[in-house]
Amino acid sequence: MSLAPLAGAAAQAAPLVDPGTLLSTGGAVDGLQTAARVLAEGIGKAAVYFTIAVGLTLVFGLMGVLNFAHGAVAMVGAYLGGLVLVLFVGANTGTLATILVFFVALALVFAVTTAAGSAMEVALIRPIYDRTPTYQILLTFGVSLIIEEVARIVLTLRGIQPNPQWQAPMGTAPDVLLGRTELLGVGVRRLYLFEVAIGALVAVAVWAFLTKTLYGLYIRAGSEDTEMVQALGIDVRQAFTVVFGVGTGLAAVGGVLLMWDPIWGPSVLLSIDVLLYAFVVVIIGGLGSFTGTLVAAGIVGIADSVTTWLFTTGIVTFPGLSEVTIFLLLVVMLIIRPQGLYGVEEVGGH
Amino acid sequence: MAISDPDSGADADAPAGDTDAPAVETDAPVDEADPIPPSTATGGLREYLRDHAVHAAVIVGFVLYPLAYEALLATPAAPFAEAFLPAITFMVVVLYMGLFAMSFDFISGYTGYLSFGHAAFYGTGAYFVVLAANGQIPGVPGGTPFMITLLLGAVVAGLLALVIGSVSFRLTGVYFAMITLGFAQVIYELIRSWGYVSTNPTEGATVSGDALAIGVPFVDALSLDVGRLTGESVENLLGLGIDLSTTVVSYYALGIVVVVCYFAMQRILHSPFGRVMIAIRENEERARAVGYPTYRFKLAAFAISGFFGAIAGGVFAAYSRSVAPDGTFYFLVTADALITTIIGGFGTLAGPVFGTLFTQGLEDVLSTESGGVATLLREGLPESVLQADLFGISLELFVNTAVDGRAPLYLGIIFVLFVLFVPNGILGTLRDRLGGTVGKRLPDHLRRYLR
Repeated sequence: MSLAPLAGAAAQAAPLVDPGTLLSTGGAVDGLQTAARVLAEGIGKAAVYFTIAVGLTLVFGLMGVLNFAHGAVAMVGAYLGGLVLVLFVGANTGTLATILVFFVALALVFAVTTAAGSAMEVALIRPIYDRTPTYQILLTFGVSLIIEEVARIVLTLRGIQPNPQWQAPMGTAPDVLLGRTELLGVGVRRLYLFEVAIGALVAVAVWAFLTKTLYGLYIRAGSEDTEMVQALGIDVRQAFTVVFGVGTGLAAVGGVLLMWDPIWGPSVLLSIDVLLYAFVVVIIGGLGSFTGTLVAAGIVGIADSVTTWLFTTGIVTFPGLSEVTIFLLLVVMLIIRPQGLYGVEEVGGH
Repeated sequence: MAISDPDSGADADAPAGDTDAPAVETDAPVDEADPIPPSTATGGLREYLRDHAVHAAVIVGFVLYPLAYEALLATPAAPFAEAFLPAITFMVVVLYMGLFAMSFDFISGYTGYLSFGHAAFYGTGAYFVVLAANGQIPGVPGGTPFMITLLLGAVVAGLLALVIGSVSFRLTGVYFAMITLGFAQVIYELIRSWGYVSTNPTEGATVSGDALAIGVPFVDALSLDVGRLTGESVENLLGLGIDLSTTVVSYYALGIVVVVCYFAMQRILHSPFGRVMIAIRENEERARAVGYPTYRFKLAAFAISGFFGAIAGGVFAAYSRSVAPDGTFYFLVTADALITTIIGGFGTLAGPVFGTLFTQGLEDVLSTESGGVATLLREGLPESVLQADLFGISLELFVNTAVDGRAPLYLGIIFVLFVLFVPNGILGTLRDRLGGTVGKRLPDHLRRYLR
């Protein structure tokens, strides 16, 4: 392998590289400390993976619809969240105020996309439930094409380049999040801690939605046996609308979370990236399983951080290691246990 | 609703199967008592031509199109022809993407297994051809004729399909789609970072040597160099005063490959093997119960599909002379085939070509590369209209951003409408209307109207 492509790839991977990791391995190798750092970063990445995937699994669990527009909605969420922050955060806005605006953006984007998702379910997906799942995949894929192109048109009209990351909202991240915190003797990036906090918040909210609300009960019952739920007199169609809306809203929340992350960042290309990684997480965890998504996000996050560490320290010189590993995880899981870690065998089989 | 029924693909085909019977009956009186149907060479040929009248008409249409297009450009209607008819460069894309979509339809439309990683085979064919041309494939010397490397690449892709299929066909439905997608993404990421391909693997590789030729290997007179810049051009064809540009020559050369591949796939689908593929789509358990080893049939069908997918990738690489991971191995390449297949007709084989023609036509109309609506509007409308204000945006800006190069948007909308209202696609719906394949039913319908 020649040196030139490696240098190029390393430069590309630069935002992924944690300078601290490089330093620590350069000096006296404190194995335990390095492991702790890799683990901490893995958990940070896991929080992101969980947030972008949980909506997908929720929708699939109840409705058996693999929503190919999930990534496109996350992309819209990143831009809408970015818009709120750019509008309300100035140069001298305080840290606390910025974080407050972030939460306002989160809530606003969730509300808007939930409503849009529900409308989409009623208008487009409801007419084709009686067809094979293929057609729902096709339809949502078509919708994602439309969303992406509309996003490109709007962005171009506003003078924003659609493919590179939109820097303005990324610049609004408060300085506090850019630094590191000593945690168990390891310097952990605060952005990761923030992402873990949001991820945990989303996890708790979804868990509460599933276990404490009526619709959650419908979802859990519906993913076991939809016909039985209908036989008990529950309006599954209405539940479908609500769940599809919430799933869409969660995708957008994932997008808002990605907005400050230099690895992702608002860009139209986010659409396909989020979709592919969400698929991996959801399939590994088992389609339709909340616990599975949580565990799978952990596995993928840690695999990501370990492989990133292997590459940045030069142990492995292959730049695509991280992505290859993640998709290999998907393939291997499908070979040894197609229903995923916590999946039910019948779900999505046909 | 019969149309929205998932089995409706079968409806489109079932009558086709039924119409086989009358066709055979009409054979009998023509061929007297001879038990072997093609009693004389001319009789067999006439029979063959009658059966393939629609095929022939479509091929003649494709052959005449460049000449008609060039002729139109010399008339006063030129601006409109440029704006609304696909340029030859787009027609070349129709050929190789149409072939790729057909190979996708071959497995997905006929066995019902959605091959979401089909780009892996397209990419394998494309990369094999380019690397072989650069002498980077061990055992394949640099000067090996393109036709041979094309076939070798296709065989490699077929073997790759066997490997991927051997584990993937244990799964069904969404899981099959996901595992094939997973495989393709793994290969995509590997190729993207594989320094052996070129010094900058994310950008792909380029053919450094001579033009690649389609035709009979080692016979210069019977082969045509392809490529927009490196291809052959023909002046004063057969003394008819017709000049053919490099693009048009490439179009014909690629067209020959596509026609051969189409008839090969069509032959396979109409053989007992193809009937088993349809049986697997309709009811795999029953097919197995009847005694067909469905797993092996699926694997073989997947390998054949991968083979032809790689041919599509190979001719694309020969024409464009460069390959990039994003244009070959990426998920969106499969998505293109999926879109055109749905628009053209799922499980119709020829449909994807018409779907590609439709999407490429749209792309041409909405791009400014060769005329296009945007150019027509910009040049045709007076300045005052162009600067007119629409919600704070001038019409010109609107045309620039919402029309120019915006084919994917309208394609998305049309695609969604097709999924909702025309799930059988163009050709599938046409077959439903005619009650059989177009080739078999259209002559009868025409006769009825002409009588």
